[in-house]
Amino acid sequence: MKREKNTWTRALKAALGTLYSMTPMLLAVIGLVGLFQTYITPEMIHSFFTGSALYDTLIGTVTGAISVGQPFISYIIGGGLSQQGLSLYAVTAFILSFVTLGVVQLPMEYTLFGMRFTLVRNLLSFLFSILVSVMTVWTLEVLL
Amino acid sequence: MDAGGAAVTVSEREKSFGRILLLIVISLYLLAALFDPASAGQALMKSLSVLKNIAPVLLIVLFLMTLLSAYIQPQKIFHYLGRKSGLKGWGIALGGGVLSHGPGYLWYPILSDLRARGVNEGLIVAFFYARSVKVPWLPMMASYFGIAFTVILTFYILLAAVIQGKIAEKIIPPQSTI
Repeated sequence: MKREKNTWTRALKAALGTLYSMTPMLLAVIGLVGLFQTYITPEMIHSFFTGSALYDTLIGTVTGAISVGQPFISYIIGGGLSQQGLSLYAVTAFILSFVTLGVVQLPMEYTLFGMRFTLVRNLLSFLFSILVSVMTVWTLEVLL
Repeated sequence: MDAGGAAVTVSEREKSFGRILLLIVISLYLLAALFDPASAGQALMKSLSVLKNIAPVLLIVLFLMTLLSAYIQPQKIFHYLGRKSGLKGWGIALGGGVLSHGPGYLWYPILSDLRARGVNEGLIVAFFYARSVKVPWLPMMASYFGIAFTVILTFYILLAAVIQGKIAEKIIPPQSTI
């Protein structure tokens, strides 16, 4: 029983130590989130789109990657863009990259996982945001 | 029960990078405060609100890291989440990704910890992508874009998570921190 308690205490201390060491990085990322949320507004995101499906899908992926916030924000922006006549490809790419890519968290990802992992993961996420959006809209069009 | 293994420590390089990044962000706030105090204050309030919201998730992360460090044997991790874990590993990665809550960066410490203990890189990549299925927000997505869109997108996200994981497995050497 005592041994069990010691194991738990030692593990808790170690976990606290790890999280404490990461605190500056975590605070930096949270600080960046506040800055991005203030300076990159939904109106600014709306202004990037042109109406061309191909170009807008790419823009949707990039703007999703630089946007930050709760996922529902991407649905609200995406819903608004869709009502304005923007292609569903672009809207889907935007809501996907909104949650899978994150410019603000790149420094932390690079520090903890290394350059190669960060590069590979983000490049794959970028490409697959486009691919998944195309496949989703195609499937939807075939089925409905 | 024996301890699973010492917690993976954060290297000096990681610590100093974190401090430098924090200094840069503080400088950005100071610059913003100088030229646009209202927006700087707004950004700070938003950051504080994020901090308040993520506190419960941080507790979950702390609990999981403690559990991992205390009771989970490295051999077991290797068995369930290593390169030869098979379908079980992919299931755990996808399920974990879908169920994990809060911002992705909160999960970085525990994932880098798991990676250092031998977890397959492909599974970590799959976990990250599967996180884009946000169960609590699915009804809202369905109300905006329809049920068919939500179901199809969810299916493709999970499929894409596995494909990306498989590609990453081939490209990223185990324990790559270069």
